[in-house]
Amino acid sequence: MYQPMLFVHWKQVRFALIPFLLAAFGLPLLVVQGLGGPDMSGATGAAAGPVMAYRVIASYAFWTPFFPGLAAATGIFLALSAWNWDHQAKHVYALSLPVPRWQYALLKMGAGAAIAILPAVALWGGALLASASVTLPSGLHAYPTALALRFLAAILLAYAAFFAAAAGTVRTTLWIVSAALAFVLFGNLVPQILTALGFESFARVDLVGAVGEALARMPGPFEVFTGKWMLIDV
Amino acid sequence: MNSAIELSHVSWRADRSFALKELSLRVPMGSIYGFLGPNGSGKTTTIRAFMGMLRPDSGEIRLLGMSVPGDMPRILARVGYVPERPHVYPALTVAEQLRYHASFFPMWDGGWAGELVDRLGLDPTRKIARMSKGETGKLLMLLALAQRPDLLVLDEPTDGLDPVVRRDVLTAVLDYVGETGATVFISSHLVHELERICDWVGVMDRGRLVTELPMTHFKNGIKRIRLSGPPQLPLDPPFTVLSRKHANGSGPSETWVVQGWRDPMRQYFEGVGVTLRDVVDLDLEESFVELLRSSRPDSSERS
Repeated sequence: MYQPMLFVHWKQVRFALIPFLLAAFGLPLLVVQGLGGPDMSGATGAAAGPVMAYRVIASYAFWTPFFPGLAAATGIFLALSAWNWDHQAKHVYALSLPVPRWQYALLKMGAGAAIAILPAVALWGGALLASASVTLPSGLHAYPTALALRFLAAILLAYAAFFAAAAGTVRTTLWIVSAALAFVLFGNLVPQILTALGFESFARVDLVGAVGEALARMPGPFEVFTGKWMLIDV
Repeated sequence: MNSAIELSHVSWRADRSFALKELSLRVPMGSIYGFLGPNGSGKTTTIRAFMGMLRPDSGEIRLLGMSVPGDMPRILARVGYVPERPHVYPALTVAEQLRYHASFFPMWDGGWAGELVDRLGLDPTRKIARMSKGETGKLLMLLALAQRPDLLVLDEPTDGLDPVVRRDVLTAVLDYVGETGATVFISSHLVHELERICDWVGVMDRGRLVTELPMTHFKNGIKRIRLSGPPQLPLDPPFTVLSRKHANGSGPSETWVVQGWRDPMRQYFEGVGVTLRDVVDLDLEESFVELLRSSRPDSSERS
């Protein structure tokens, strides 16, 4: 059952996935453009000094948000494509198959997760090529495999979150989104109102920030997005 | 008699305007059961209820002797389902869809599926998104039949198909039933189509089952009778009066449409002093319309 499920998902997304694959392969190559030039003393590569190393890292830092951004976009695309036809057909086909619903969802999720490996492999290939194409200043190293693994983990996380949200009916998805928006809205508004009413101690309450911090910092589940996305590091 | 499908007092409310109301229905094992009703009467909702696709608010459902929704995967392995609207993946070709479908059904008959592809004139390499409505209808029927099901549930399977395709599809079903003795539950609003193939009929209207009876009773038991000097109220007749109208002509006379008519019942009128002038057979469509009219609470003609 898994193999046909994988085939169906692959057939549905194969063309739309190409831009994601190209982006994943090209991003590391783009990042290293212009790196590895001579430093102030004219030295290049391993002979270049720590100032050059600092410049390389500073230049690279500009690109770091693009990696989690691409991973999130890829994961969301795969998740939504997994349920796209089921939603259009009101899940009638899935519900007429002789498998428990949880098993069907698990098979579908596994199919999408397997496809998610492809962009990660593309990024790994691009990162390996990028690493080989520059001679880094002394003290710096390239981490193509670690970057690709983080990229894969981020895709899978975004995929899992949106796969779960999209698995239900449109009504269920709207409930989840509404609940999240309501939390953000009231989490910001209520302390402000209370502070305006004279409860000064609420001025320091930042519920949304605290929840965001808990989710995005270690050991929060979304730490993979906010952590270090370094192809080149010390 | 064993039942392939059994619904007991099933109720389900969709919204303010539509609900299944205390629906009880029994499809005998091995029968071809026609499920008639106008558009929006609840045919598809009933099917979705016993296919486990929606959860009734109350009542009990059993399919092939098993409980819905508790035994659903085991039930679905033995049920071939053709839904009202195509539900297969448009990105796949016919051959790919067959492979995908086959992987879920333990009784899948690949050899026969291949034969049906040829017989129904389908191109295995053709993409489903590019297929006509008729070709898609054939494919859905093929998928249901090649599962070798004990129960076929067909929701308006020939709706919108041209007569040639319709005949191909129904012939494939009848051949399968002739070979295996499977039960068929077929919903339609095309009365004449069911008349030819069904041996049981259920009629739905506004979320209620109006009647359920063998096709022969449906075809032969509903009559239009003309009476002279009819009583104000029928006095405990041995049949059901579906409607009564004043008839044109001299003297007090009425036309009644009655259900459950048998010829010896003529004696009833002699006993109540009424002259029975005429007994006319109704075709299935007329019977169907009369049944619907009589079942509606706002029917002014109702006796």
